Amino acid sequence: MARFVFERAIRGAITVFVSLAATFAIIRLMPSNPAQLLVDPLLGPEAVQAMAERLGLSDPIWIQFGKYIMELARGDFGFSFRTGQPVGPTLFSKLGWTLLLLIFVQGVSVGLGVPVGMMAAIKQNRLFDKASNTAVILGVSVFVPFLAFALLYLFSYKLKLFPTGGAFTPPMKHGIAFALDVAWHAVLPTMALAAGNTASIVLYTRNSTIDILKEDYIRTAYAKGWHQGYIMRRHALKNTMIPTTTVISLNIGNMMGGAIMTETVFSWPGVGRLIYDSVSKQDYPMLQGAFLVLSITVVCLSVITDLAIMAMDPRITH
Amino acid sequence: MSNRTFLKALRKNGNALAGAAGVGIILCLGLFAPLIAPFPAGYTIEVLQPPSTSHFFGTDKLGLDVFAQIIWGARTSLQVSLIAVAVSGFIGIPLGLVSGYFNGKAGAAIDLAIEVFLTLPVLALMIVAAAALGASITAVAVLIGLFAWPSLARVCRNTTLKVSQTSYIEAAKCSGLPVASILFKHILANIIGPVIVNLTMAMAGAILSESGLSFLGLGDPATWSWGLILKKAWEAGAVLASPNPWWWWLFPSLFIMIYVVSFNLLGNGINDALNPKGQ
Repeated sequence: MARFVFERAIRGAITVFVSLAATFAIIRLMPSNPAQLLVDPLLGPEAVQAMAERLGLSDPIWIQFGKYIMELARGDFGFSFRTGQPVGPTLFSKLGWTLLLLIFVQGVSVGLGVPVGMMAAIKQNRLFDKASNTAVILGVSVFVPFLAFALLYLFSYKLKLFPTGGAFTPPMKHGIAFALDVAWHAVLPTMALAAGNTASIVLYTRNSTIDILKEDYIRTAYAKGWHQGYIMRRHALKNTMIPTTTVISLNIGNMMGGAIMTETVFSWPGVGRLIYDSVSKQDYPMLQGAFLVLSITVVCLSVITDLAIMAMDPRITH
Repeated sequence: MSNRTFLKALRKNGNALAGAAGVGIILCLGLFAPLIAPFPAGYTIEVLQPPSTSHFFGTDKLGLDVFAQIIWGARTSLQVSLIAVAVSGFIGIPLGLVSGYFNGKAGAAIDLAIEVFLTLPVLALMIVAAAALGASITAVAVLIGLFAWPSLARVCRNTTLKVSQTSYIEAAKCSGLPVASILFKHILANIIGPVIVNLTMAMAGAILSESGLSFLGLGDPATWSWGLILKKAWEAGAVLASPNPWWWWLFPSLFIMIYVVSFNLLGNGINDALNPKGQ
């Protein structure tokens, strides 16, 4: 078991390393001077010169890479063009909001996707299954901003049920009132982002449940005279959850892309919205930092999910 | 399976036909864009006109015809997704074949690379790269291709693993054929079905990425794309404006949806036609 955890951690570390190498390579591959990209154009040529020296552009490439890694390890992500402040603290203050949104989305997609997927498997090729298959195709094909627009138009503009953006109504409330306010603001972003994720969970749960329903132990359970709901909860659910959790783990990176667009449309104050703002302000250090924070988050979440699978399925570690 | 039975199975599949029809319509719109409508540029006085017989999908804030923008956007979408899929094919297919055929250390290393790239938040990485490299349509397309290969490589690897065990590959090895010929002639020919399914669906994925990048302001501002129309509509506040110019944001969104659903349905249909038992 220790070996499995170790291997998984190593794979996570390699993924983080690849993200670091990718951002490093992207800056160095630029046709123009890398220093120019990392310095606010308003600061003038002296600042570009200073950055070029700091980056050590005349050093061999692997020394430059080593320096870059060391700086990141110290939490030094560079300075924002927009505020002149270090990028790191801004990123970490925004990360919580993104994580909160992802938790809401994961909760909704598992809570809805698993029962619907199992139901579709039980009613294979019947009306419910066909309807859910159609919904799945639409769900995995959805362009997140479109769904976000449709939800905004319907629920905010027409029905005026939910706010048009932000994560809370200022002034900030306290305690339960604040939590309720945030939850109310999170409804539409969660729906926009959860659709695609729910669809793929339904798809995988359905397919794995269809296989599981053919197993001997399910037939035995039926033969014992237990009713369907009990068998599904007691015998099928746990086995279905293993492939489903694998999909959840694989989807996290993909979901971050959706989160960038959802947060952009709903002005959700997370890392995704920060990426959009940094693109429009051409704030390159912030953009790079935001990507690194997102990819480290994705790696941590998928390692955690994989360890959850391991806990559910002891066969993996043997 | 012979080509005839395959085509017969495909023709009987309603979803696949619907997908093929959607792809066909968008292909025609894209190919004949210059004949259907002039390239929308500049401005006119007919601002924010609702759909009518002279403007099927209304006009935007500059008085430009939204239908014309969508037609020219179809051209961009096809261009981008074809380039992106070609790039990811050139990377993904050889990597998948090699890693499946040499299932030792080399195979494991490539498999690890696939796994790593599947985990990364790819859209965020594309944003960082596009912001640094500057946005031309070709650059965006190549970029999408550079990050879209892992799922193709995985499909190739998994199918190659199975095919490599067969006796005819064994025979090809014994007869001393060069490795390249075994990989690209004998194995590829036998895994071409799943590869085509994956490439078809990759067309859908590519356009989701392209629209996302354009929507976030990383596309080419001089070339019409569906994501760019949505970006302009959203930045003008079209979604919540009163009275609402719904045609401005709804029609481009529907075209993205039609494009993605069509390619996904077609991919599913080909898959079902190849594996009749899978139904």
